[in-house]
Amino acid sequence: MRRLAFHLGLLLTFLSVSAPNFAQQGHPLTGTWNGDFGANPTQRTPITVVMTWDGKEVKGIVNPGPDSSTTVVTVDVTTWNVRFETDMKDASGKVVHASADGKLDDLGSYHRTISGTWRQGTTSGTFKLTRE
Amino acid sequence: MKLTQLKVLVFGVGFSVASPLAFGQRAASAAYDDQRKVKLAGPVTKIAWTNPEAFLLVNVKDSTGTITPWEVEIGNPLDLEKSGSRRDSVHIGDVVNVEGIPARGPAPQAKATSVVLARTGAKLFVMSAKPAAKASGQPAPRWPGGHVRLGPPPGKKGYWGPPSATTLVESGVNVPMNRDGLLVNLTDAGKVAPFQPWAEAVYEYRQRTLFKDDPYNKCIPPGGVRHFQNPYGFQFYEQPDIQRILLFLGGGDRNWRIIYTDGRPAGQKEDLVLTYYGTSTGRWEGDTLVVDTVGFNERFWFTNGGLPHTEALHLTERFTRSDLDTLRYQVTVDDPRTYTRPWSGGWTIQWVPDQEIQEYFCEENAESTFIHNSREEKYQ
Repeated sequence: MRRLAFHLGLLLTFLSVSAPNFAQQGHPLTGTWNGDFGANPTQRTPITVVMTWDGKEVKGIVNPGPDSSTTVVTVDVTTWNVRFETDMKDASGKVVHASADGKLDDLGSYHRTISGTWRQGTTSGTFKLTRE
Repeated sequence: MKLTQLKVLVFGVGFSVASPLAFGQRAASAAYDDQRKVKLAGPVTKIAWTNPEAFLLVNVKDSTGTITPWEVEIGNPLDLEKSGSRRDSVHIGDVVNVEGIPARGPAPQAKATSVVLARTGAKLFVMSAKPAAKASGQPAPRWPGGHVRLGPPPGKKGYWGPPSATTLVESGVNVPMNRDGLLVNLTDAGKVAPFQPWAEAVYEYRQRTLFKDDPYNKCIPPGGVRHFQNPYGFQFYEQPDIQRILLFLGGGDRNWRIIYTDGRPAGQKEDLVLTYYGTSTGRWEGDTLVVDTVGFNERFWFTNGGLPHTEALHLTERFTRSDLDTLRYQVTVDDPRTYTRPWSGGWTIQWVPDQEIQEYFCEENAESTFIHNSREEKYQ
């Protein structure tokens, strides 16, 4: 317990000091976003999306690594509604087109979020991403 | 859980809650609501004579007898000292009457417009208007080789002081805004610079939220052109023998820039570690020092008012000392990921003769910051 409390204290201190250093003030979608998606609140699948802005379009990589896929990202800056289109493996391992519509919230925060709904084939649910 | 364990946990939790709200040198527009007024009276219980803002802690008793400690911002201590005020202009226990502008939100904090010592009626911490420096009429000093000196003449002291403008808008554009860059009419946002749509939306958001997310409020360095928009000046230190110019910044985090004048290429951002002040190379075009800077990170706002930028930002700054007293600063902003075309703006900066930049560190006010935040939690 003593060790746990000590490390928890250190962790919180570290987070408090280091978080502002990672703030990103450029295009709001740029960066690494972690979160999850699922058909219901208990069955969630972790997901990572890395987005970049080249001055003309936002490009995204879903789950960087051996099973990564690219995603087309469009954003309406008047509402900050974000749409993702990608082809990714479903639960059976088959590649199926997926789309997601979300809303970017807390624009000025370095831990801003995108949350909304997704659909892949006949399956749908909710997702939430938080910028790291 | 033992007490020592609890202390560690409480320290961690407390620090994590406090630091995101830190406001070391926040813009007044973000901190205070100038549409409201507040009158306070009570004894002084603490005098924080620290940069960037000095504070008094005043115990204010309401009609029910409840005492609330109010944090009263009285101005920058360097400016106050230049106006004749001192830390001991008021003492612990002195009763003061304060008029001021309250903080936005519930925190018992105010920016004083008037502080009066109750027992004598003396007005305290009055900031005298700075007399405009008289033009010396002297030409710009020069090095033996003929180049204009950007620093003081040989054997003299001095530095570049407050700018004629504290906001950056495209040349030829005239939109009303305050010293912090807060637009009077938000509908003017699109006129300030040739924004890409996302950038205009972000700029509007920052304006609409009164700069609450400004990294400068947390003492993040004022990179880009912003360090030339603060009132605490800067100094050039030219080193012609090693072909570089150091730029010492008087405000913000009291940092420095290096401008290399040895002919090296400006560099590509892909090759550089991205920083708050970027990587600068300079060359002389007649009497104008032209400085190209790339390699900026995206962790700061590069100007007052919240104009956005990306890592693609390339600034071309032109420093022209037309006479001893005047430095013309012009900057071209080229960031194709943020703006639809390069655009320019600028202002003049006045020489402050025979004086030295005083010590100023944004971080100094941390103690007051934590007082403020702990109370902010309490009153939420």
